[in-house]
Amino acid sequence: MSSVEAGAPGGGTARRELVVTFTREQIAAYAEASGDRNPIHLDDEAARAAGLPGVIAHGMLQMGLLARVAGDPARLRRLSCRFAEVVAPGDTVTFRGEETNGRVELTAVNQDGRAVITRGRAELAPSGLDGRS
Amino acid sequence: MAFLIEAEHVAAFARALGVDPERGVPPTYAAVYALGTTVPQLFSDPEAAVDVAHLLHAEQEFAWERHPRVGETVVARGRVAEDVERRGVRLLTFETEVTAGGERLCTSRARFVIRGSPR
Repeated sequence: MSSVEAGAPGGGTARRELVVTFTREQIAAYAEASGDRNPIHLDDEAARAAGLPGVIAHGMLQMGLLARVAGDPARLRRLSCRFAEVVAPGDTVTFRGEETNGRVELTAVNQDGRAVITRGRAELAPSGLDGRS
Repeated sequence: MAFLIEAEHVAAFARALGVDPERGVPPTYAAVYALGTTVPQLFSDPEAAVDVAHLLHAEQEFAWERHPRVGETVVARGRVAEDVERRGVRLLTFETEVTAGGERLCTSRARFVIRGSPR
């Protein structure tokens, strides 16, 4: 994974980028950590039986990576997206966030230039929401 | 369902997303405390009759009043908000409200596509 951060977080526009090549190991680690052990994420045969080309990444793994380019996680007030294309091991996805005054447009595009996530949006509160002062 | 936000579990989740486990609870840990605690009810509900392997996450929205802290217990309540069929595909929308100490913490709206199983 590689990430880039640029811009002024205090105001104006900030851009963030994260490039991730998905692996089976990463998807399996996410399945374990999240408790979502649906076989379509872990077992090629089960995935094919369900009409998929093979195992796919969890939508919530993609969204977790998308959240990384949304900005300060403690300030995240809203996060939403649509999972438009399946992501499989070997796919390289570029996650981008562009923040303007607390509103963030989020995109995720794979190596073929296809949007794997659409309608990605986040909203940041002026200060942290994590209950710490 | 009550769920304890536990340090080791949060850290494993953070590492799976490549984020620093020291930086608190990742926002999308809501996948665990909001979705993981309530969505599986769908699978065990004979009326919903959902085959988990045919369930694809199509859309997700989270809104937070605040983020939970490690050591805190949250309570999640889920309900089916919508169950419709469009062009032979079943769309299930599941809403979850998460509270802590009686106060709202997070709201989740998850939409799933159930492929190949029109009723």
